[in-house]
Amino acid sequence: MATTPRIVLRGSALHRVGQVVLFGLVALFLVRAGLTWSRTGLGLLTDAIILATVVTGLNLITGFTGQISLGHSAFFGLGAYTTAILVERHGWSPGWTFYMSAVVCFAIGCLVGLPALRLKGIYLALVTLGLAVAFPALLNYKYLVDTTGGAIGIKNLQYLPPEWTPFDGRADLHKWLFWLALFLFVLAALLASNILRSRMGRAMIAVRDNETAAAVMGVNRAVTKTVVFGLSAALTGVAGSMFAVKLTLVEPIIPLFTILGSIVFLVAMVIGGAATTWGPLVGALAYTYISDWARTQGEERSIDGLGGVIFGVLLVLLARFAPFGVVGALRRARARVVRVVPRPPVAPAAATVVAAEATPDGEAPAPA
Amino acid sequence: MLAFDFSLFVERMLFGLAEGSVYALLALALVVVFRSTGQLNFAQGEMGLFGAYVVSTLTLSGVPVWLSIVIAMVIGFFIGAGVERVVIRPIEHRNPGAVVVASIGLFLGINQLNAMIWGPDARQLPSPFPTDADAFFRVFDAPVRWERFGIFLVLIGLLVLLWLLFNKTKIGLAMRAVANNQESSSLVGIRVGLVLMVGWGLANAIAVLGASLLAPQAGLSVSLMFGPFLAASAAATLGGLDSPVGAVVGGLLIGLLKAFIIGYVGWLGGDMVFTVTLGIILMVLLVRPGGLFGSVRVERV
Repeated sequence: MATTPRIVLRGSALHRVGQVVLFGLVALFLVRAGLTWSRTGLGLLTDAIILATVVTGLNLITGFTGQISLGHSAFFGLGAYTTAILVERHGWSPGWTFYMSAVVCFAIGCLVGLPALRLKGIYLALVTLGLAVAFPALLNYKYLVDTTGGAIGIKNLQYLPPEWTPFDGRADLHKWLFWLALFLFVLAALLASNILRSRMGRAMIAVRDNETAAAVMGVNRAVTKTVVFGLSAALTGVAGSMFAVKLTLVEPIIPLFTILGSIVFLVAMVIGGAATTWGPLVGALAYTYISDWARTQGEERSIDGLGGVIFGVLLVLLARFAPFGVVGALRRARARVVRVVPRPPVAPAAATVVAAEATPDGEAPAPA
Repeated sequence: MLAFDFSLFVERMLFGLAEGSVYALLALALVVVFRSTGQLNFAQGEMGLFGAYVVSTLTLSGVPVWLSIVIAMVIGFFIGAGVERVVIRPIEHRNPGAVVVASIGLFLGINQLNAMIWGPDARQLPSPFPTDADAFFRVFDAPVRWERFGIFLVLIGLLVLLWLLFNKTKIGLAMRAVANNQESSSLVGIRVGLVLMVGWGLANAIAVLGASLLAPQAGLSVSLMFGPFLAASAAATLGGLDSPVGAVVGGLLIGLLKAFIIGYVGWLGGDMVFTVTLGIILMVLLVRPGGLFGSVRVERV
């Protein structure tokens, strides 16, 4: 094991090739799944992709900006209900309601971001927890029941593939929903990665690492926190809309609309790898398939609770052996073979060239 | 409301105090863990519930209620200490952020373990206090039932014991030192690892007590602790997460708030009560970001 890892400059041709190959493999897998998988298999994968979209949003505010949110289940539910209400009560076409979800959730998200200006860490978690607890209660609130449908919820939501798509109506519904979910996830991932490379992204990371220092350096904390909260909520809301049309109904007892949902999102983010580019997708896939596997184990042996116990043990083991998530573990493994280092800065007056410290951190050309 | 019904007010207040006492117990458990580890133990409610099920099994085989609770607390102590040593510590060394996932894993796992061992059906747990029809006394004409008021008395008793433990014993001093600064504590020869284990054990014993006192009234079921856990974490936050006094005051306040909102602001309806309570806490936190009794840390850059 004493081989020295090979040094690769970030942004070099080799690094680019590695990135392209990795992207290509993931894309190939998803496209193949979308074309050939059966209805059940594709349904589960669609759930995972929807979860990945939510986690992409959560990763922006919690992973990169360091503001813990336990309230994202409320944004998820808000998006789902926005779609359900507009489609059922106002006759909108489902596609247009996705935009509305984004707008509504962005606005509410910015509002919720305001207390974050004053509260930190676990105290902010409590405030957002309040949001998560309030949301299902509000749905049942007697003066809102006419709109939300109360405990019955809203049923029979349909989003059949539009005419211009190659899908054949009801028979291809599962394929259409998968491609739609995938499209939304890719949009969300692109948005997130572009934000992170912008001035805003650098401000977010500065706020996370040290708020006071960031403020001293001229970062506008108020704008950064509220806008990122809003964006994160908007992505989550769109995923909620997608979830509603996939499930074809909304009701207050759906676990992902309650505090349980917020916990699921957080767990998926951490087991994927918080504040990483690939974390949301990897975490969502891992969460979906591990929990599904544990559930079937319990059902096959028909023992009450066995599935939950297995899943709980697996979560503890994951936290123990991959404390920085699956992506973190893969990076570690990769660092033994290849090290990606940033290009040394080329300053106009390069008096001293900073020696590039070899860090195992950075974008993944090819994990493992 | 023209004539203010004072005895009704007292009745509601005592009702709130009894409910708040359970929250206070659970919040105490959360605070004891938070002081030592800096983490909210998501599984605390379920770990306490496990103890309440042990009480149920013991009483069914004829052990007196009080003795069963004490035995369950002792078992709970060792479970809590074991969880700290086996699950939490190895993870905390590598990434404190991953402890959240581990404690959520424990929450799900223990919740379902309870269902696996004792079945999903609700069961009755005998109350350790007198429950006869005439087991009450009157304050301002308001009947006070011993089975409720007793919980409050137990809380007071436990507080006295905890005060003695923290202030008059060597292990208590060590626990305060570790809560203040782990590194300095180990430099002066405190066995930090052992103290952390005792802290988690103590917290879990308190949680077992809380769950065993709640179950006789609410019925022992797998989902019993969800609501109380949320209320207790809110109580701990309201009081200030590093302050045991704050946890108790916060727990009692939330119990009272809920009782008064249900009693006097009926139009808010059942499900909204906890939301309104959290809204009130939010306003308190906006004025005092560290909680009522918590210490605000000044951060250096």
